[in-house]
Amino acid sequence: MRAAGPWNTHDKTQGSVVLEGRALEKRFGSTVALAGVEQAVRQGEALAVMGPSGSGKSTLLHCLAGIMKPDAGEVHLLGRRVDTMGERERSALRRTRFGFVFQFGQLLPELPAEENVALPLMLGGVPRGQAVRQARGWFAPLGLTGMEGRRPGELSGGQAQRVAIARALVTRPAVVFADEPTGALDQTTGHEVMNLLVSAIKENGAALVVVTHDRQVADWCDRVVEVRDGRIVTPAAGAAR
Amino acid sequence: MNSIRLSWRLLRGGGRKGLLGAGLTLAAVAVSSMLLVFAVTVNFAFDGRADRSAWRNPPPAAKVTGKKSPHKKDAVAVQAVHYQAVGDRMLTVVRLAALDERATPPPGLDRLPAPGQVVLSPALAEVLSGLGGAIGDLRPQPEGSVRLGDEALIHPGELVAVVGHTPDDPELLKPRKGAHGKDVPATWIKGFANEPTNDAIAYQALALIATVLIVVPLLVFGGAAARLTVARRDQRLAALRLVGATPGQVVLMTVAEAMVVAFAGAVLGVVLYGAAAPALSRIEIGGGPWFAGDLWPGPLPLLAVVLAVPLLVGVSAVAGLRRVVVSPLGVAKRETPPGMRAVRVVVFLAVVAAFPVRTAGVGVGVVAVMLGLVFLCVNLVGPWVVALIGRVTTRMARTPARLLAGRRLTDDPRSAWRTVSGVAMTGFVAGFIGLLTPGITSGEVEDPGVAMLIQDLKTGTIVVLTVSFLVAIASAGITAASSILDRRQTYALLRLAGTPLEVLDRARRAETLIPLTVMGGGSIATGAFTAMSFTGGVPSADGLIVLGVSVAAGFAGVVAAGALSRPLLRSVTTEPVPRPD
Ligand SMILES: Nc1ncnc2c1ncn2[C@@H]1O[C@H](COP(=O)(O)OP(=O)(O)OP(=O)(O)O)[C@@H](O)[C@H]1O
Ligand SMILES: [Mg+2]
Repeated sequence: MRAAGPWNTHDKTQGSVVLEGRALEKRFGSTVALAGVEQAVRQGEALAVMGPSGSGKSTLLHCLAGIMKPDAGEVHLLGRRVDTMGERERSALRRTRFGFVFQFGQLLPELPAEENVALPLMLGGVPRGQAVRQARGWFAPLGLTGMEGRRPGELSGGQAQRVAIARALVTRPAVVFADEPTGALDQTTGHEVMNLLVSAIKENGAALVVVTHDRQVADWCDRVVEVRDGRIVTPAAGAAR
Repeated sequence: MNSIRLSWRLLRGGGRKGLLGAGLTLAAVAVSSMLLVFAVTVNFAFDGRADRSAWRNPPPAAKVTGKKSPHKKDAVAVQAVHYQAVGDRMLTVVRLAALDERATPPPGLDRLPAPGQVVLSPALAEVLSGLGGAIGDLRPQPEGSVRLGDEALIHPGELVAVVGHTPDDPELLKPRKGAHGKDVPATWIKGFANEPTNDAIAYQALALIATVLIVVPLLVFGGAAARLTVARRDQRLAALRLVGATPGQVVLMTVAEAMVVAFAGAVLGVVLYGAAAPALSRIEIGGGPWFAGDLWPGPLPLLAVVLAVPLLVGVSAVAGLRRVVVSPLGVAKRETPPGMRAVRVVVFLAVVAAFPVRTAGVGVGVVAVMLGLVFLCVNLVGPWVVALIGRVTTRMARTPARLLAGRRLTDDPRSAWRTVSGVAMTGFVAGFIGLLTPGITSGEVEDPGVAMLIQDLKTGTIVVLTVSFLVAIASAGITAASSILDRRQTYALLRLAGTPLEVLDRARRAETLIPLTVMGGGSIATGAFTAMSFTGGVPSADGLIVLGVSVAAGFAGVVAAGALSRPLLRSVTTEPVPRPD
């Protein structure tokens, strides 16, 4: 569970496909948010999604994560079709196979940090004591020693995001989705958090799909794609790194 | 003025959910205002009845000196009032002999009746003509004869006859059954203006107690409604503070907004009351329904309600805003809440302990004030108990739902209390009334006056409890909805992360039902304890039924209120992209 690690030495071409979106389309009224997107995510891969505001990045992420049903196209997770599942099933999938980090506000304000992290485990049926013990294990590697009992309101923005990362990873998900996870942080803190996120993901063998506006953040990732008007235009320059 | 315009914009620009919040406040304030007008008017109505029946309890002349020299200097008439049953209704017969022809007649009559003249109330005239015969010496009167005016009647259906006699008529002078079944003789009187009858005073006292039992929960409910607007806004207001609005501007804006909504709600409430008054006037108390005018409080009280309600809401809004105003980060940064101070419990216990002492042998006004005080103290101690329950629940929590509920109770005991306070305080009313409910039925009592009072106590109980429950359940529903709106971002993100809706729902249920059980039980006990100062302390079977039904209705109401807000929870959590607004 150690955080620091040479994650970018991974060979990004290796690993099997964990999650795949095929010909995804989504429209809101007359707005076309996704116009036929093909996107695969490999095991242990960190994928950055970039693009101008309103181009459909969040929509893509929500479709891949089973939050939203695409109008057309398919989503497969480890060979299982996700987009045709009912809400209950998708909900269970999100709880067990996916982790989420949002810009802010995902922590329950009334729960201490450690219980915020333990909550997904408890939802999965782990007894409370064990869940909290397991949750505490994530604090030191993420530089959160001593923050276990604090409320989200008593944490700095960066600390809160690190708690959110611990919460996303505690169930050992196959894929972690992050929508502008550093959007509410200053650059230095943002990079610190991103660094931790990517390395923690690698440590745990999960895949990462991160939406970001920050070129440098994208550069931490193995692969960068750019979305424009609901289409993936190019594997952007960062992918060549 | 600028900030008022700005706040108006804020209100309109709050979007669908913002308007929903304002709409809920409006509805809450309207319902409370309507019931407030009702509670106030009830007192006027009984005062009116007391005034209209006072002439049957006129002041005796200076000294009654036997039959030898009945003509006292200041006596204007000889009066005998007696009662008899006509079917299941009560007939009041007032026998009068004028001693002074120029004496002011009682209300409802143009002049004192001449010997042999019989004046009937409209309802009695109807009964007699329906009967086709006489009741004692009361015969049907020819069409177009003088009728007793409404000013002399307790209620429109009252059976009253005024019979004229000569002063020495033995029919007048012989003792007959009075109000409470005892024989009473005729009285030499010096006029018709007097204090209300004892029965009227009893009704006035009961009305006052009922008012307290209704108004206190209403105040709490109104306060909750005011907080609702503020709660909906505090995020936005914190943002305004961050942008640099001064505390004064922020307070002014929010309070203006809350008060505009409350004013509209109060006006709507008065209108609703006007619409409901005809139905309310059919409630039978004291043997009959009401005159339309009885339930019309007059312009001044209505104006007072329409002005006072927004003012109270404004004050409550200011109190709710303190957090935002103190620091720009107030709401954005939620910190470990400071514990509830135990002073609350001390005050509560002191007041409850003082109740039997303070109310022993004092006027009904003091009792009403003390009752209100105890009632308010239940509200004072509520959040403290909720916080305590929260800590216990948290410690014992095994499931995520319980943990969420426990933490939430500890985190914001005040708002958790607001959800159940209405119903819990109705528990107080039920406990109080449950112990006071007489075990005997009206049929078992000889005295028709007492029989009627018992019947009326039961009717009054039902009215007060119904109103209490309406308020309580409305407030539970409104606070449940508003707490979802307040926490919609968190709920939405929890859902995105795969938390089943049932877990959220179970947590919501636990966070209302656990405090409801404890505080509902506590306030029933408190209500029963305060009622013990007036009765022996053993509830009657009827009282237990009242209690049982109340408990069942309270739980059912709160569960239903929570269930009703479930679609809202669903809609809030299926919004694919949670946006902070
Ligand atoms: N719930 C919705 N209702 C209507 N239109 C929506 C909805 N969600 C997204 N859209 C529209 O779909 C398009 C794509 O939105 P999306 O949120 O995916 O953009 P984005 O790339 O994430 O932008 P940003 O970088 O600003 O977050 C936009 O035009 C947006 O207005
Ligand atoms: Mg987005």
